[in-house]
Amino acid sequence: MEKVLEVRELSKQYTKVLAADKVSFDIEKGEIFALIGPNGAGKTTTIRMISTLLTPTAGDAVIAGHSIIKEPAKVRECITYLPDEAGAYKNMTGKNYLRFMAGLFSTDIDTINRYVERAERICGLGERLKDKIGTYSRGMIRKLLLARAVMTEPKLAILDEPTSGLDVLNAIEIRKMIKRLAAEEGMSFLLSSHNMLEIEFVSDRVGIISKGHLLVSGKADELKERYSAANLEEVFERVVKGNEIL
Amino acid sequence: MKFFNLLKKELGELLTAQTIISLVLVTGMLMLMGNLMKSTIEDAVENEYTISICDRDQTDFTKQLIKTLREAGATVDEYESEGDDYPAILRDADVESLVILPKGFTEALEKDERPEMISVGVMKSSAAMSNIANSNSGAIALIEDCISSTFAAKAGLTAEQVDLLQLPVNVNEQTVVKDKSAPVSTTSVMSSIMTKNMILPIIVFILIMFTSNMLMSAISNEKIDKTLETLLSAPVSRTAILGAKMLAAAIIALLNAVVYMFGFSSFMNGATKSVSDEMGSKLVGQYISVDEALDRLGLTLGIGDYILIGAQLFLTIMICLSISLMLGALVNDTKQSQTMIMPLMIMAMVPYLISIMSDINTLPMAIRLVVYAIPFTHTFSAVNNIMFGNMGLFFAGLAYQLVVFAICLFFALRLFNSDKILTASLNFGQKSKFKKSTADNE
Repeated sequence: MEKVLEVRELSKQYTKVLAADKVSFDIEKGEIFALIGPNGAGKTTTIRMISTLLTPTAGDAVIAGHSIIKEPAKVRECITYLPDEAGAYKNMTGKNYLRFMAGLFSTDIDTINRYVERAERICGLGERLKDKIGTYSRGMIRKLLLARAVMTEPKLAILDEPTSGLDVLNAIEIRKMIKRLAAEEGMSFLLSSHNMLEIEFVSDRVGIISKGHLLVSGKADELKERYSAANLEEVFERVVKGNEIL
Repeated sequence: MKFFNLLKKELGELLTAQTIISLVLVTGMLMLMGNLMKSTIEDAVENEYTISICDRDQTDFTKQLIKTLREAGATVDEYESEGDDYPAILRDADVESLVILPKGFTEALEKDERPEMISVGVMKSSAAMSNIANSNSGAIALIEDCISSTFAAKAGLTAEQVDLLQLPVNVNEQTVVKDKSAPVSTTSVMSSIMTKNMILPIIVFILIMFTSNMLMSAISNEKIDKTLETLLSAPVSRTAILGAKMLAAAIIALLNAVVYMFGFSSFMNGATKSVSDEMGSKLVGQYISVDEALDRLGLTLGIGDYILIGAQLFLTIMICLSISLMLGALVNDTKQSQTMIMPLMIMAMVPYLISIMSDINTLPMAIRLVVYAIPFTHTFSAVNNIMFGNMGLFFAGLAYQLVVFAICLFFALRLFNSDKILTASLNFGQKSKFKKSTADNE
């Protein structure tokens, strides 16, 4: 299988904290990979390094053949990033926001129009796209941002806590959307979440991260079997406790 | 193309309906105030020649006095009154000022004693312009002139001698600026320059405050809403993002400068034109007009001078923007962005107040150096330096501002091109909202 992302011993040292320590994993084309872990585990730091927002202290990651250290500009052309609890420009209409973001990915008007039409179809906000984002609910903003993140057909879409703060129905809708885009269009996803039950449903493979270390990774079913657990939460508990004992 | 996309978005974010409405309102208010002050001053000037008088002495002399006042061109309204209940007297007469010639006025004059005259005026408020119309000064001066003439006539002096007594010396005032001179008093030159130059420091001060606040909020809002993270992960250079933000803020600042300049000009024209016209004609009189004198002294500004002032103003705004950009990146919430403006405010306030109150060049050396170290000082003293030919000082200031701008821009670019744009914050003992959310999500 074609590898879209190869993360090799990625580390980030803040002044006092080692937020990520030699994190390594791969994502294949059309695969949904999820980093799971509690708050402060190093998920966002790892994701930010892969998104070229933070410079790694050591290690590297290669996205579609481009190194995040040597070719960050090329990497940014292949990825999209949706931060956790992100907002959008409140004075813009939904449609103008999509057009503005599409204009950052392409200078060709036809391509921009194609991106915007695609996002309009995916977000399902219909006529509300003509309204200012300031009038949207949290769920609507998240749908708009998610559509923005996938409209450019990136090789890798990086979504930090994609359903955080959403009600059950909106969360289900977004999970289905991610699964469909991966299955039908072969888009790869790197997700992060501390909601392990959600991740079990949506992802192909998971990586369990704690205190900056990627402790284990694999398919949810395999991990459950390996650790004789009923769900990912139990897997997580056993992996983390096992590592503490070690 | 991508840069214009960013610029368009930044302009859209900054130029909201609220911004436009507030600009229109401020300009409208300034124009209204200008007109209001103009009419107040015109009333006052008109009032100077309207005398409300109460003749309690009723002698031939006082009657002649009133007649003389009328002959001198004043409109004299006569009233009757008794006692010293002045509020009631003014109320009954329905006037705001009144001159009372008490009983015994003529008798005192005949005894060669100084007679007493009562001047009553209403005070409605402590506002500087509110009591101008209530002054009796014009009436008193006219009455004093009449009485002086009577005394002089009694002493057997001719009209010419009286005139000589009142104005014993013809002062031929000459003002020198560098190697040029003009027959005009320094007082009238000063007041004319002050009136004309009053607008610029106010506009500079407002612009510094406005643009800093605007850009700081724009950056901090992007950081708090995490739209900045989305932007920084898009295929567009960070320098372009920073450039678009600064250029948009500079364009809005320029728009504000034009609108405020227009509003303040109408305000100042209304407020000062009638006063300075009066003053000009009285002080310079037979010699030359103040404008001509300013021209002769080389104190008028040409197009080249305005370009230099504009360049300095632009540099000031750019320094302001680069500092605000860095401060905005350190802010964690909107409340903090309002306090973060303090350093810039002080940097603008100190030279602004000093430029109003005194000449920076006359301050003690140590204080002067401190004041000159503030980059905005050079903007506030720019007009003065150009006007009085201190071009060395002007260009030194301009060069200093250029260096300050280069340093600020260098640090702003470094901040924008490093992790610090996302991780830096000033907490003052409080946990950063941004860092907190980051830690929560890790």
